[in-house]
Amino acid sequence: MKISFTINGKTQTVEADENTPLLWVIRDGLGLKGTKFGCGKAACGACTVQVDGGAVRSCSYAVKFAQGKSITTIEGLSQGKELHPVQQAWVEEIVPQCGYCQPGFMMATAALLDKIPQPSDDDIDENIVNVCRCGTYYRMRKAIHRAAKIKQS
Amino acid sequence: MKQEKNHKSLKNIDSHGHVRGESIYVDDIAVQQGTLYGAVHDSRVAHGLLKHINVRKAQALPGVVAVFTAADVPGENQIGGIIPDEPLLADKEVHFWGQPIAFVVAQTEDIAREAAQLIEAEITPLPVITDPREAKEKGELIAPPRTFVLGDTAAAWQACTHVYSGQASTNGQEHLYIETQGAYAYPAENGNIKIHSSTQGPTAVQKTTARVLGLPMHAIEVDVTRLGGGFGGKEDQATPWAVMVALAVHHLKRPVKYVLHRMDDMRMTGKRNPYTSDFKIGLDENLKIIAYEATFYQNAGAAADLSPAVLERTLFHCTNSYYVPNVTATAYSCRTNLPPNTAFRGFGGPQGMFVIEAAIAKAAQALGVSAAEIQQKNLLQAGDTFPYGQKAENPEAISSWSAATNRYALDHLAQKVNAFNVANTHHKKGYALMPICFGISFTKTLMNQARALVHIYHDGSVGVSTGAVEMGQGVNTKMLQVAAQVFSIANERIKLETTNTTRVANTSPSAASATADLNGKALEIACRKLLDRLKVVAAEELDLTSVTGVTVREGWVHVQGQKTDLDWNTLVLQAFLKRVSLSEVGHYATPRIHFDQSKEKGHPFAYHVYGTAITEVTVDCIRGTYEFDAVKIVHDFGASMNTIVDKGQIEGGLVQGIGWMTLEELEYNKQGKLLSNALSTYKIPDIYSVPKDIQVEFLAAEGSDLAIFKSKAVGEPPLMYGIGAYFAILNAVRAFNPQVTSVFDAPFTPEKVLTALYE
Repeated sequence: MKISFTINGKTQTVEADENTPLLWVIRDGLGLKGTKFGCGKAACGACTVQVDGGAVRSCSYAVKFAQGKSITTIEGLSQGKELHPVQQAWVEEIVPQCGYCQPGFMMATAALLDKIPQPSDDDIDENIVNVCRCGTYYRMRKAIHRAAKIKQS
Repeated sequence: MKQEKNHKSLKNIDSHGHVRGESIYVDDIAVQQGTLYGAVHDSRVAHGLLKHINVRKAQALPGVVAVFTAADVPGENQIGGIIPDEPLLADKEVHFWGQPIAFVVAQTEDIAREAAQLIEAEITPLPVITDPREAKEKGELIAPPRTFVLGDTAAAWQACTHVYSGQASTNGQEHLYIETQGAYAYPAENGNIKIHSSTQGPTAVQKTTARVLGLPMHAIEVDVTRLGGGFGGKEDQATPWAVMVALAVHHLKRPVKYVLHRMDDMRMTGKRNPYTSDFKIGLDENLKIIAYEATFYQNAGAAADLSPAVLERTLFHCTNSYYVPNVTATAYSCRTNLPPNTAFRGFGGPQGMFVIEAAIAKAAQALGVSAAEIQQKNLLQAGDTFPYGQKAENPEAISSWSAATNRYALDHLAQKVNAFNVANTHHKKGYALMPICFGISFTKTLMNQARALVHIYHDGSVGVSTGAVEMGQGVNTKMLQVAAQVFSIANERIKLETTNTTRVANTSPSAASATADLNGKALEIACRKLLDRLKVVAAEELDLTSVTGVTVREGWVHVQGQKTDLDWNTLVLQAFLKRVSLSEVGHYATPRIHFDQSKEKGHPFAYHVYGTAITEVTVDCIRGTYEFDAVKIVHDFGASMNTIVDKGQIEGGLVQGIGWMTLEELEYNKQGKLLSNALSTYKIPDIYSVPKDIQVEFLAAEGSDLAIFKSKAVGEPPLMYGIGAYFAILNAVRAFNPQVTSVFDAPFTPEKVLTALYE
């Protein structure tokens, strides 16, 4: 079936089986490779994108649900050369090691900050439930707090 | 000095690509037109005779291009590295649940996967062994057992006032690199093949592909941009998938890609080797350890893979940071019907170290003293001999212990924990110290060599190729630092190229924590040779009679410390115009190391890395759950060349070690089927479960000449700080239930904690 949505500000119409996970439409259909496959069970969060501003695990989100909605991927998080506060904080705290899971974490964090601009550690524990095997969590927590500050200023 | 400082705090050079989602992993490479996709049909029986493979239904599925089995292998159907005991595709027998039997290639990934399900393998089941002790009883050993001996334990028991024995076990660990295994290959001219692989060992992929296809190595080019995590899981086990796509390319002359789905990856690949061990420890009245015996039963899985080398490192690290004058340690690599187990950060070292820590904990409990007291009294001192004959040179065991206990006020912590435990009934705190000592070098001496290729382009920009694979450990950042520091030019002038077998050949895998040392030293040699040639050119340009006193500093030629008006770019261009070579290869082989396996003695390590961690935990004695309040570490980085990258390795390694010791529960059933087969059934640490506070201090230490810029290797050692988590929990449990009998069976999951609290 034909499905239309906005992705990173551009309107797109794709032809896909309605139950195709959004992840594969984004990666293979639209060629946006920043969103990653990790587990296929919505457990790891490497595939996190925003749909209408909320964090969604695109490996387990049928593309049909995206009809008429607005999707943001890591490629659309920042405008032009300017980094989004989350990306800026990630660079400043030097969070990434292998980097593979990081786009998902940043998309989840950006969604969290829209919902809770100054998250507490408990808010972070409850909302940032992705996994990073390099174990960058300690810096990530610092980066989330830093991003909140950058965003506020 | 300023420049040097900037280098030391250089951020991961991939940071900007990573945060924009622009970094390229195997699955992100733009595929060529006509690319086909692969899928594996693997065994659903852990042991049996493979009578027949029916591929007709799969072949008939529209979109299927080919189905390959062992019969289609033109060369040798063999992927075993250390011992040739593992076929690429099963032939006649299957030895583990998940063993690849056939490789399907189709127009799309979905079709390939559907077709793989349609293949029918007729297998007559044979008895399945999953337990290493049972395997040993039945004589199922991968290789002859190994024994390290120091002194004479049999005689030493007489001198011991206290002798304790017991068992200790550690489960395996799923690597769970978030980027699953995968490879993409396509035909080049004249029957050659180019492979993009997510591998820590490009040469292993090249060599094995050549062997399976019956081609010379030069027909196979392997290229690696970066890995989305490896942790040892892509040292040997990235190979089969790369060989399979190459096999398909060889037959079909079309591009073929195969990226594993998570459950396929978890089912078909091996893990950290589970171990079960027996120990016996003897102490004198002053709590000095006089004798130690250990017998290790390694669960190797169905084939050797890297297990014999892992086993060896267990023996090398069986006494951790302690000096024990009488040691007998024997290790059996036991063949079971699990997927072949393999390298995982620490490579057998953690498994060996857990056992002596268990022995010390058992002795401490029996004697009514703290384990820390026994640990401290037995720390290695300069000149002490390891069981393998090497002497401890500049050991930092005592210095890091003292620094940690002082810096983090151990006395205060002990009082705080006691006071908490007196005041609280349902929550108890515990703490533990974990000293580490880890030898740096591949224990197989010949692997301690590396090469680097440096091109200076005639516009002054520099391209660097080494054998190092970037997998998050920051090795490319360190390589850039080496070139920038030797040339003394801006970081931006230097580019790290992909790791490619046509540019740097015969590489050792990126493993054993030694990647930055080996490749960095080779790179330093290449850069110095180039710089020497450029200095001659500079002397000519400046009409000097000699090169003495000529240097390059921050992009400008200096003479006797005075800046000239000759800059790097002009110098390089002049060298080119004078037809001076601007390319160089550096070769490095670690000096002074050797090991004689017939005697089990030698000097296998370039140096050792030390450190001490203090772990504090709070256990919920109603639920059996726990929270790590803090882990505070003093680590021997030597003279760290990049404190940001190095600290990140400590933080991440610690978290992985805690995961292994606490949450990560690998589970196979008696039929050899993996039950913890997805991220929903296998729990790794998340932001909620990691320590609330992690502190890492740099030990004041000078480092080793055999470390790149005296900056000691840092990849694996911190994982072993995680072992402290087990003993901290045990101490908290004891505060609640002093009667608990010591069970040393990691991981200490909340379920096991609950049992221990109320046993």
